[in-house]
Order: sequence, then C-alpha cells, then structure tokens
Amino acid sequence: MDLRLCYLFTGLAEEQLNRISSAAKEVSMVKDQRIFTGGNPAFALHILKDGAVELMMKTENELEIPVAILREPGDCFGTSALMPAHSYSLSSRCVREGCFLIVERSVLKQIISEDRDLGCILMTNAASFFLDRLNQARQELRIHFATLFKSFYL
Amino acid sequence: MDQGNEIRVETRGSVTLFEIRGDVTVVSEPFLKEAYKNASQEGGIKSLLLKFDQNAYINSGGIAVLIQILSETKRNNQQVVITGLSDHFKKIFNMVGITKFAKIYGSVDEALKALPDDV
Repeated sequence: MDLRLCYLFTGLAEEQLNRISSAAKEVSMVKDQRIFTGGNPAFALHILKDGAVELMMKTENELEIPVAILREPGDCFGTSALMPAHSYSLSSRCVREGCFLIVERSVLKQIISEDRDLGCILMTNAASFFLDRLNQARQELRIHFATLFKSFYL
Repeated sequence: MDQGNEIRVETRGSVTLFEIRGDVTVVSEPFLKEAYKNASQEGGIKSLLLKFDQNAYINSGGIAVLIQILSETKRNNQQVVITGLSDHFKKIFNMVGITKFAKIYGSVDEALKALPDDV
C-alpha cells in the first residue's frame, strides 16, 4: 500500500516513506474484533489497508458513542502512539473484515530520533488533523448548547 | 470524508419523508436544517419520516444534529419516525434515548402504517 494515502505521511520523501514502510507489519482483522480499547497503552500507530474500522468513545454508563468510521486505505488510527501520554484516547473495532498496518511506537520513536525532519513533518500533519477534529468537536458542542438553550428558554 | 448530505424530500399523504443519503455528522447540520425549513415553509410538516442509508455512519456529531431536529419537531408537535438504520445504530439510538422521541421501524411501509392518517 502506498503510505502517501495516509495524511500523516504527506510531504515525506520516498526514502522516508520506505523507512516507515519497512517498519510496518500487516495485521488481519475480522468483523467485530476489538482492535484496541481507550485508556490502554498506545503501543502502535495503525494504518487501514482494507476493510473498515469504527472509533468509539466510552461514556460513564458503558455506552460506546460512535466517533468516526474509517473506510479508506491510508486512514490511520491509534495516533496517540505518537505523543505522550501514549494512551489510546478512543477504542476501535473492525466493522468490515480486512487488514491494517501497524508501526510500533518504539520503532517510530527510533525513526524520528534518527530523522528529525521526518518527525517534524509527521507532527505538523498530525497537528493539522487534530485542529480539524477540534473544530468539529466545537461544532458539536455548539449544536448541543443551542438545543439545550432552546429547551430551557423557549 | 465529510462531504455533506443529499436529502431527498417527498410527501406521502400527510407524511414528509426525508431520505438522507450518506453519513451523518456535524457537517450534515446545514443540510438537515435547510430541508426542515423548506418543508415547513412549503406545505408544513405534520409527521416526519427520516430514512437513512443502510450503510450510513452516524457519529456523535450526527446524533447531536438529529437531537436538534427532534427538539424542533417536539416543539412543533410533529411526530417523527425513523427507518433505514443498521442494527448497530438502532441499538445506539435506543441507548442514547432518541427512541423516546422517534420510534424506529424496519421499513418505510412499516413506518408509514404506524403514523396516523390525517384528515
């Protein structure tokens, strides 16, 4: 799979992509398989190759709220492996059988320490993505507040 | 990924049907609000049937948008029913309490039968 499909690797040179590609391992998944659980140590970055994965967030009463669906090759998840506290912020499960690549945190750390430019590009891409997600979360919050406000005052 | 929704609006008797194409997220808000506003202005809405794609994904943002619409329909005394959801989302809608405001049916025909005939 062309790792350029993953937003994290946008702007990397061929050689840099090859380094990450060499470190990636392919893992199969079956429908309804739990891939990782929120709160657990983030041991690897995951990159979807085939199939589909759902990201969920657990609430107090054990309900798992759907957060996102990943369907395209190159969609990545488990990005908490890139940054402290290295703990998955969401849970993930397979919704359509397929496979994904993992790049272990320790290996990524090694690659980044040897190539600071690569690390900078990765983090810049991650920051841009998270900002977009933050804006979406704010929109969601705005909608909830608008609904609450109308319920109480109108 | 989030590209907005095409919403096909149809009237069946006294029921306004919104056929919502694609995933439902915060990006869906302007599309749903526009469809609701237009349908309200054109012929008025007595009952509303929301039909989703079988493979649609509805995330927490989409749920927020739906709750917003449901609070509006509640204020306007409009009955709402839902069809087209996968079993996964039927379960989620039930757990978040949406089914207290809008019942879920297995098909459009089933949902239409459940709605009262209007005079």
